[in-house]
Amino acid sequence: MTIPMASSLVSIPRVLVTLFFISVTLNGCASFSKDGGLGAVQKTTKDFISKDIQWVKSLEDQDSVQSRTEELLKKPLTVNDAVQIALFNNKGLQAAFYDLGISEADLVQTGKLPNPRFAMLHTKNNGDYKIEQSFTFNIFSLLTMPKALQIEKRLFEQTQRQTAMEVLRLANETRKAYFKAVAADQSTHYMQQVRTAAEASAELARNMVKAGNWRKLDQAREQGFYADAALGVARAERNKITAYEELTRLMGLWGKQTQFTLPERLPDLPLTVDESNNIEQTAMDQRLDLQSLRLQTEALANQLGLTKATRFINVLEVGPARVLEGKRSDPYKKGFEITFEIPIFDWGTARVARAEAIYMQAINILAETAVNARSEVRQSYKLYRSNYDIAKHYRDEIVPIRKRISAENQLRYNGMLISAFELLVNAQLQVSTVNSYIEALRDFWLSQSDLEMALIGKPLFSSGTGSPMRDNQMSMSH
Amino acid sequence: MVTRRNFLLGASAAGVALSAAKVSSVAMAALPQIVSMETPDTQPPLMPENGRPYNPVVTLNGWTLPWRMNNGVKEFHLVAEPVVREMAPGMKAHLWGYNGQSPGPTIEVVEGDRVRIFVTNRLPEHTSIHWHGQRLPNGMDGVTGLTQAGINPGKTFVYEFEAKRPGTFMYHPHADEMTQMAMGMMGFWVTHPKNPKFMAVDRDFVFLLNSFDIDPGSYTPKITTMLDFNLWAFNSRVAPGISPMVAGQGDRVRIRVGNLTMTNHPMHLHGHEFVVVGTDGGWTPPNSRWPEVTADIAVGQMRAFEFIADEPGDWAFHCHKSHHTMNAMGHDVPTMIGVDQSKLVDRITSLIPDYMSMGESGMADMETMEMPLPDNTLPMMSGQGQFGGIGMGGMFTTVKIREGLARNDYKDPGAYQHPVGTVAYEMNSELPPVQRQTATLSGDEIEFKARKPVSHGEH
Ligand SMILES: [Cu+2]
Repeated sequence: MTIPMASSLVSIPRVLVTLFFISVTLNGCASFSKDGGLGAVQKTTKDFISKDIQWVKSLEDQDSVQSRTEELLKKPLTVNDAVQIALFNNKGLQAAFYDLGISEADLVQTGKLPNPRFAMLHTKNNGDYKIEQSFTFNIFSLLTMPKALQIEKRLFEQTQRQTAMEVLRLANETRKAYFKAVAADQSTHYMQQVRTAAEASAELARNMVKAGNWRKLDQAREQGFYADAALGVARAERNKITAYEELTRLMGLWGKQTQFTLPERLPDLPLTVDESNNIEQTAMDQRLDLQSLRLQTEALANQLGLTKATRFINVLEVGPARVLEGKRSDPYKKGFEITFEIPIFDWGTARVARAEAIYMQAINILAETAVNARSEVRQSYKLYRSNYDIAKHYRDEIVPIRKRISAENQLRYNGMLISAFELLVNAQLQVSTVNSYIEALRDFWLSQSDLEMALIGKPLFSSGTGSPMRDNQMSMSH
Repeated sequence: MVTRRNFLLGASAAGVALSAAKVSSVAMAALPQIVSMETPDTQPPLMPENGRPYNPVVTLNGWTLPWRMNNGVKEFHLVAEPVVREMAPGMKAHLWGYNGQSPGPTIEVVEGDRVRIFVTNRLPEHTSIHWHGQRLPNGMDGVTGLTQAGINPGKTFVYEFEAKRPGTFMYHPHADEMTQMAMGMMGFWVTHPKNPKFMAVDRDFVFLLNSFDIDPGSYTPKITTMLDFNLWAFNSRVAPGISPMVAGQGDRVRIRVGNLTMTNHPMHLHGHEFVVVGTDGGWTPPNSRWPEVTADIAVGQMRAFEFIADEPGDWAFHCHKSHHTMNAMGHDVPTMIGVDQSKLVDRITSLIPDYMSMGESGMADMETMEMPLPDNTLPMMSGQGQFGGIGMGGMFTTVKIREGLARNDYKDPGAYQHPVGTVAYEMNSELPPVQRQTATLSGDEIEFKARKPVSHGEH
């Protein structure tokens, strides 16, 4: 509905000038930052992992990332190298960085004056004209702009938290994939040793039959053990492929760069285990998912307030207008045009209810996340502790006992008290035990990563997984 | 060998030790003092200084129990107790025995002697002693439950009877026998004839055959083993730990053997024929004796062999069951003869660094290989002679006959010095080509295969 209002034209520029100044003032707080918001992300992530992140936007960026990656790839990767490579090369992370750009653009956009609208009606009948011209401006957006800016700022900060989270999650997943890959390498090596022993048994058995000292039955049995062991190697190699490719994907490598090397062994078990003082509180204080959700609920609270305040008015536009009716030579009538919608049928209650529901939903999600975070951190700490104990038990008890048994068996073999076959079976068991220790050590490092993650955000528990080696041991108890 | 105190009855200083009994002398007044032996070495014969005269025996790797005379009764004191017996240098067994050793000391008496034996039980369970082969009152026969109550731990029982029949006997428990015999409780008993000139010999050796199942690395016999023993012993001693039986050239030598194992043993002497002059039942009539070089001794039996030691040298004397002249060995180890391992060794040693292939050309390797073994066990066939490995352990010793030995000289004279030209020698000249019949294959069912000796180089 348009209401032409008789008024002096002089006042129109004044209004526009006022509008202009308001908008300029507002624009002052919402311009694009130099780093696109990555600085805050870098600062947050640096507290947890002392690693660089790089938003690759230009060719120079690309070159620098590539040369630093190639430098790291020259020698066997440490876990920190792997994480750094992932932070440089993972395209998913780069994509996440652009969320910052999108969010900041939203913020800046919110701080911009809406474009004025020019409307014109032009009719003509036998020399009679009707011309309506208006230049209107949505002044309501000026009223809501501070609120909207506040909301967008929260959302931008939230995006920064989420991006930091992405960085840390990628680091964490890379760590875990790294440990899995190194362990898979080691397991393959040990399974090959088991196969060597079984192969020697099978060949010895063949020679026994050839010499006429043994039944084919015995040979078949030894051949069966060898076949099992060969299967064990195949399974271990299959595992290794999966683990390597997972790590490769996370590090974002392709082509020649996939020929990276890993160290032969997992890092040793640390001498001491971390204590659990206040880990729940620590998680409450520093978990980024909680911080991000808090910002989101704040934004939603603002949104709710805004919705409540503006439920009656959708659009309020104001601007100068002029109308010509009659002959073309008649003077224009000048005035303002103010347009707004009156909610005769829509009182905005549904929009308020929706905003309220969204807000309450966010509140509950936040509460749930907090409760879960406490549980997750407790769980991951307990898993970390028990995996430490298990690995330590393997290292200090089971492996030494196995070695002692092997040494005693060697002595018994020397005295011709047992056969070479028993010695070889025993060697297989010893190797398998060492391999189980490696897996326990891997599980410890995985759970340590889970614990670190649980203090930052939601962990994806991955320790204590079964393994083909352990399945093999079942069938190997001959 | 340590003698802590001289035995009050003036036994020859032949290696007898008194245990320092902590019991008050009043309480012990009625008991002969306890004499204990601390070494498994063969002790010289115990010359009788009182009572009826006799020609004492020599217990192989053992000793004779001194006695005291008490109003014309010969009193002995046996103490049943846990002992540590060295079965050969390098291996000790936790056994049960008497007076410090297993087997217990030999008891020597003379036909017609009144004998009183005090038996003190220091075992953790009740025991008794059965006097195997003796004629005696039924109540002295030592069968727990049947003829007497068991001697409980800490208690002392007294056995008393007249040694009526001269001959060769033994003693052992008849209480929880399975355990107590498997643990080594046994001893020799000789009743000498009243007339020392009757069947007198120059040297009279005695020992019992016994067997144990002691897992290499452990110390205590497995008492449940029925037949698969791994240590076959003379007097709880195995070669290379068994003393030689030393004799002067021309001596009449008697060897008395009792079998307390669970199988028979064909005992075989080299270089001489012997006759069996006695059994459990007494002396064999001279006209029933026939010469042999091997006499089988069944379970629970005693045999006395005699021969003139007229051929000087180091003569083997052993059980002819070849597994009884081994020491601990695995009975489930497959035969490796002719099994080529040359290509395997490298691969196996990558996993098992100390691996060596063994048995490919037989077991003789074992005589010379010196590889670390489990604790407390003996290499399978480790006896060494002047020409190298003897390849025997267990029930194996030698009769060493030398010219001009003093009557009571039982000292090991060392390796026999062979007169020139009396030792088998290697032929150094070229051999004529050998014509051999070649084995033919009948179908592909049976394969004849000559096993040619292979080089020992890789060991
Ligand atoms: Cu035998």
